[in-house]
Amino acid sequence: MFQSIVSYGLAVGAVYALIGITYNVMFSASRVFSFTAGMLGMLGGVLGALFINTLGMNAVLAFVLVLACGAALGIVTEILTVRPVLKSVEQHLYVLSTLAFALMIQQVVAIEYGTEAYPFPVLIPIDADSIWGVVDQKFWLPVLACAVTIAGLEFLYRKTLIGRAFLAIAEDSYAARALGLPETRLRMASFALAGVIGALAGFTGAQMLLAFIGNQAILNFYGFVPVALGGMGSNRGAVIGGLALGLFQQAANFLVGGIFAAVAVFAVFIVVLLLRPEGLAGAATARRV
Amino acid sequence: MLIKRRLVLSGSAAGAVSLATGLSAPAIAQSEPIKIGYLPALTGPSSSTGVGINRGVQLGVEEINNKGGVNGRKLELISRDTQSDPTKAVNAVAELTQRQKVAMIFGPVNSGEALAATPLIARDKVPMLHPCWVDELIDVKKYPMAFRIAPTNTQIGGGANHYVVDVLKLKKIAVVSDTTGYGTASVNTYVPMLKAKGAEVVYQNHVDAANPDLKPELLRMQSAGAQVIMPWSVNAGFLSRICNTRGAMGWDVPIVGQTTLGSGQTKALLEKPEYWNKVYSNNFRQVCYVNGKLLPKAAEYVERLKKAKVEFSDTLLWWVALGWDSVMMMAETFKTAGTKAEDVVGYMNKVKGWPGIYGTVTWTPEQHNGFPDSEVVMCEVNSLKDGAFNIAPGYSS
Repeated sequence: MFQSIVSYGLAVGAVYALIGITYNVMFSASRVFSFTAGMLGMLGGVLGALFINTLGMNAVLAFVLVLACGAALGIVTEILTVRPVLKSVEQHLYVLSTLAFALMIQQVVAIEYGTEAYPFPVLIPIDADSIWGVVDQKFWLPVLACAVTIAGLEFLYRKTLIGRAFLAIAEDSYAARALGLPETRLRMASFALAGVIGALAGFTGAQMLLAFIGNQAILNFYGFVPVALGGMGSNRGAVIGGLALGLFQQAANFLVGGIFAAVAVFAVFIVVLLLRPEGLAGAATARRV
Repeated sequence: MLIKRRLVLSGSAAGAVSLATGLSAPAIAQSEPIKIGYLPALTGPSSSTGVGINRGVQLGVEEINNKGGVNGRKLELISRDTQSDPTKAVNAVAELTQRQKVAMIFGPVNSGEALAATPLIARDKVPMLHPCWVDELIDVKKYPMAFRIAPTNTQIGGGANHYVVDVLKLKKIAVVSDTTGYGTASVNTYVPMLKAKGAEVVYQNHVDAANPDLKPELLRMQSAGAQVIMPWSVNAGFLSRICNTRGAMGWDVPIVGQTTLGSGQTKALLEKPEYWNKVYSNNFRQVCYVNGKLLPKAAEYVERLKKAKVEFSDTLLWWVALGWDSVMMMAETFKTAGTKAEDVVGYMNKVKGWPGIYGTVTWTPEQHNGFPDSEVVMCEVNSLKDGAFNIAPGYSS
């Protein structure tokens, strides 16, 4: 039981964390909370299965292509749904525009690919009955993807010029623009990066979650929880929140089971937000007076 | 002479009148085709059933028309693809009943569309034949002209319960469903039926179908002493996870449930082919292999399908047979009773033991569900060959 809680919990948690990071990367560049994160995750699995199973592509090539599709969709999201509504971020029109775009893509997938769940190929076969069964691909791949992503982002934001430019527009876009930073292009780059991370989450988690159109809503929802728990914009918070959510959800599956597991997850979520509205890792923002 | 427009119009009108009165009305009625409204879902997310049924329907109509039709009148299918969309089904009903004036409607073939379309067909007083399972579609008071040529959901659950309790003699049962309307309604209906048969339901739960790990639930079933798992869901992902988890746990209990358990989508999601062993899904006695052979009637039908080059390697025999049976039933009704709605219903109310390929049909004025309980059986899901399955072990043949 303990082994199952840890292996499944960490794996699902890593996928949630990656989707949380996808939300964050888009949010920090634009102050827009784009609800396309779940769509990117769903597409990562669906496109991966399509490229490898249906079109018979090499797994590495398929992986690169899936990430490229994620990046392209990120850029399209920015151009079509974020840029036009940025003038009035206060009115939260982006909720409608990004969600509508995500639903449109989901419908296209439903028509072209189908509404059933499809298998995702085992890329590195390990006998599930052996001792290595615990470290089956479906468990370690999302965790590895999450670790690489967070390390990469830390490096990008702290050590590179472009990363610092991202941080600058996240901090104060007007000041950044005044200093001559190309805000629009940086925002597009951020959305492309978010697209890659979302697709990565879907691709690496698809053996466990299957290539299934219904994953969009689940990932949108459970990917949001680590963001709220960890504090908006905090990637480290999202990782901790995501892993904690995965472990707690899996423990709840064992301890209470059935539909009550979901109830338990949201009960804890609400309690945490009541106690710490700014999130576990977020800093309370002082109101300017 | 100056030809005026009004003159031409009045002349042609007079000609039309004389033409119409020159032929007697019954003569036209006797030679024109009998229109059958047909509402299959040939495209869209739930179209695999419709595509299978359609092959049987088309073959049936072709066979009858090649033999000269019904009392010298050809059958004409007025087919409208509902695209698995209730709105489209409703629009098509209006066209079929009011503009096309069809003698009878077969379909819709999916429950969601049938629930939307049935009240409208009943309102327009057109007889209809149902292939869907939802119990509410048949009600002799509300829809006196609707008849069902297939089992009900209650019979489907009853068939599974009968297999578990009476054939396998298992008494400790785990019943699980997803959280959809179908799943929860099935569990709520079938659990009391199991208890009434004297079985002990040791585990009962609704589980989110998106949950990637069902091991906690199966461990709970195991520790409760379950001897069989009965899942009620049409979600292939959920069902395959139950099979995979049971296999990975090395837990050797049968899984007994709905037809999706035996679908190609479920099969595609299995981690190992042997995880499909001891899995039994609903099927129908007349179209199952018993001791490796189909019943003579079904075997002869399969030969006929092969001769007519009807493709059924990618579909199920019972879907094709259901479509074919429905056409034969309608043709026989028109042949004996004519096409007037009251006469059609009057005839169908007295159908007794009609021997279809798919099932034996009996209707009475009080009961328009025509499928017998005894023909709802379970089959071995891993035995698919030429669109049919082996009957599950334990039944007396």
